[in-house]
This record gives sequence, structure tokens and C-alpha cells, in this order.
Amino acid sequence: MEPQKNDPKNLWDWFNPKGRNVGGWAFILNRIAALGLVFYLYLHLFVLGKLAQGPQVFDQFIATAKSPLYILGELLVIAAALYHGLNGVRVLLTSFNIGVPQQKQMFYTALLLSVLGTLVFAVRMFTVH
Amino acid sequence: MWKITYRVHRQKGNEPPHYETFQVEVDPEEYVLDGVEKIWASEDRSLTFRHACHHSTCGACGMRVNGVEKLTCITKIKDVVQDGGTLTVEPLRNFPVVSDLVVDLGPLYRKMAAVQAPAVHALSMTPWEGQNIAPPADIPMRSADEEYIRLPDCIECGICISACPVAATDPEYFGPAPLAAIQIQGLDKPELLALADSQEGVWRCHSAFECSAVCPSNVDPGRRIMDLRRQVSAKRLKLA
Amino acid sequence: MQSTPKTGETFWLWFTKIISGAFILFILAVHLTVNHFLAPEGLLTHTEVVAYFQNPLVVFMEAIFLFLLVLHSLLGLRSILLDLRPAEKSRRVIDIIIILFGVFVSLYGLWLLNAVRTMGS
Repeated sequence: MEPQKNDPKNLWDWFNPKGRNVGGWAFILNRIAALGLVFYLYLHLFVLGKLAQGPQVFDQFIATAKSPLYILGELLVIAAALYHGLNGVRVLLTSFNIGVPQQKQMFYTALLLSVLGTLVFAVRMFTVH
Repeated sequence: MWKITYRVHRQKGNEPPHYETFQVEVDPEEYVLDGVEKIWASEDRSLTFRHACHHSTCGACGMRVNGVEKLTCITKIKDVVQDGGTLTVEPLRNFPVVSDLVVDLGPLYRKMAAVQAPAVHALSMTPWEGQNIAPPADIPMRSADEEYIRLPDCIECGICISACPVAATDPEYFGPAPLAAIQIQGLDKPELLALADSQEGVWRCHSAFECSAVCPSNVDPGRRIMDLRRQVSAKRLKLA
Repeated sequence: MQSTPKTGETFWLWFTKIISGAFILFILAVHLTVNHFLAPEGLLTHTEVVAYFQNPLVVFMEAIFLFLLVLHSLLGLRSILLDLRPAEKSRRVIDIIIILFGVFVSLYGLWLLNAVRTMGS
């Protein structure tokens, strides 16, 4: 077979929601969440290295991280993790041909639960810690 | 009659693509392809597009209408635009553009050949939605255990490949129609199992289900890929 | 086409990604509940974190969590990169980088876990 040329310009098609259907949105959000979570995971592990530097370094860092901007960022991570995880359940089930005709409803459910869950964490983080 | 604007993707040879607009008078009950033919007939004879049967059997007239993959011979104008509105018509994605609205579907045909896509298959392999199709009672069977056969639903229009986000960046991925063709045949042939389980096979799908959303012919390739995944997984885990 | 070697995506890599994802979701629920709801200070002071890690069950859970996350994130990242159809040579380089990075991060994580755990004794 004559190999076709790969056009890296098409990368945008992964994320472009125009003309996409429900399953397409699920994929777009899943991929964006995935990339964000990979970045956060390794940043998180790097930052946690401050634990080894003793109480002063760590507690000082936490003090700066209690600003609303950091909390918003953290909420974004929680939203991404909840969505990626719950949509992951949808992907797992459909991958064994379970509930494929209901994949749209499963996506809406995952999205709704992610939003609700994020709100719960938002209230908790802005009021308690 | 409606007056609408067709915004048509034009591209000849190696020149960069551009869009050209045509004012067309159409009956809203007509189909998108009819408007394209009117442009060709009365406005610009150099406009190239593919079509043949006009009734969703040949799979030649797949295009993107307002950014969404459609079989233009069965897409009513009134369903995609309003009177006075603009309709954008573009060639399918993820295939090389030959000219204007014509793409080279060769890569799809070669993949369909590689997976031995059948010309006819047993009625029992019909899509899930059509499982209650009653075989015609007056057709004589040679023996009692002979199965009724039918043409496959897949018309090889390439619309599913155009909508697939994985195919957007990887032309070697088999994509929806060829994987669905494997699922319809089952995994008894070792070469088909090997293809489904290969690096261009079922593991590459990211469950966007865009293929099933745009398929004009009831194939439901997304569900077939998932079922193929289930079957191959069971074999690899020695559960079947 | 038949002779294509199985060097890109494979069943076992895909299956590992799916299964690790399922376990991560479970541990993530525990992780988030403890951090944001059970820990009095939200595990946001050094003292509380060290005290938390005195429980060997916690150390075990966090170690498994780390390992699964590294596995899942790198397999997922690889799948995304494979969607870009890298040339065979580039794909090998990607694989080597991913493996080395995964081993390094896992060892770093285990070292950190141990460092925090021993701070309490």
C-alpha cells in the first residue's frame, strides 16, 4: 500500500468541536483533560518534593498556594480528574460493547457528575481549606 | 422556490484551496447534491464532484455540508439551510483532494480489500437495528440450513473516515468502515484477527463515535469496533 | 499491510491502560476524600502529612497509586503521540524516553514516600 502523507495541520481536528457530535465532544474533553492531568501529575510530584526539604519549606509553599488563583487551578484539576475518570468508565464499558447505544446518556451523566463534584469541592475548598 | 448561497470549496492541481459562492434557486425539498449539479449545469462546468445513483446506494457523493459529513444525495436542502442562507460544501477530510469536491478514496478501498470486505453476507450479520428484517418467503433455498444472504450496508462512501479524529492525523489507521467489515465477518479467519489486533486495528479507536453519528447507511461502525474489541480481548485473555 | 509489525499500540498496552484507569479512579476517590474531607488540616501542613504517612496502609496505597498513575499517564501519552504517526525511528526514541522517565519518576516517588515516612520516627 502506498503510504499516505500525514498532515500535522490536522492536529486541530482532535480539538475542533465544530460539526462534532456528542461522542466527539466526549473525546475532545477527554483528551484535553488527559493532557492537562499529565502536566499536573508531574508538576504535583515535583512540588511534593518540598516535603523532603522539611516543614519550613513545605509550609511556606502551602501558604503561597492558598491564594484563590491556586485554588481555581486546583479546582480545574479536580474537574479534569473527575471528568476523565467518569468518562473513562464510559470508555471502559463501551470498549466491551456494553451500553454503546447509550453512550450519549453516559457522557451526559459523566459530565453532570463531574460538574456537581467540582462544585462540592469548590464549596469545601473556599470555605474550609 | 428558495434562493440560497452555495459556498463551494474549489481546488485544482497543486493550487491552494479557495471558496467560491454561487446563488442558486432551489426547491427546499431538493437535495444538496441537486444544488451542486445546478451550479455545474448553469454556472461553472469546471466544477468537479462525484455522484452516480442519487439514492444512497453508490456512496460516491459524500461531502462535508456546513462542516458535517453528509451523503449529499439524501440530505435535503431544507434540513441544512434556511431560505436566503448559506450552505458550505467541502470535500471529505482525511483523503487526498483530487479536484474541488472530489477526493481519492483509494486508501479506503485498499483497506477494504485488505480486510476482505464481503460483497454479500449472511442476513444474520445485519446491523443490530435491522435484525428483524424478514427474509422474503418466496425465495427458494437450496437446503434447510442455508442462510439468507444480503448486500452489506456499508457503501464505502468514506464518510466515517472523514469524521474520525484518529484518521485525521494517522492515515494508516484502518478506521471505522474496514474494522466494521472485519466485525461483520467474525474472527474465524486468523488473518482477520491479526489485522484487528494489529497496530492499525481496534486499539487505536478513541471512542468518539463520530463514525456512527455520520454513517448514512446504518452500519454503526463505532459499535462494531467496540464489539470487535470485546471479541479480540476475549481471545487474548483466553476467555473465548 | 499484513506484515506490519506490532510495535505501535498493542492489546496488552491498551488493556493495561484501561485496567490501571479503573484502579486509579477507585484510589483517587480515597485520595480526594482523605485530603479534602477527612484530614483536619486538609493535609496542608508538613506535620499532618508526616503523621498521615505513619500508617503503613497509606504508604502502600500511595505507592500503588503513584505506580498506576505513572503507568496510565505514560501509556496514554504514548497513545496520543502514536496518533500523530511518528516515523519508526522517532517512535523508538519516544518509547525509550517514556520508559526511562517512568522508571525515574517511580524511583523518585518511592524515595519521597520513604523520606516522608521516616521523618516521623
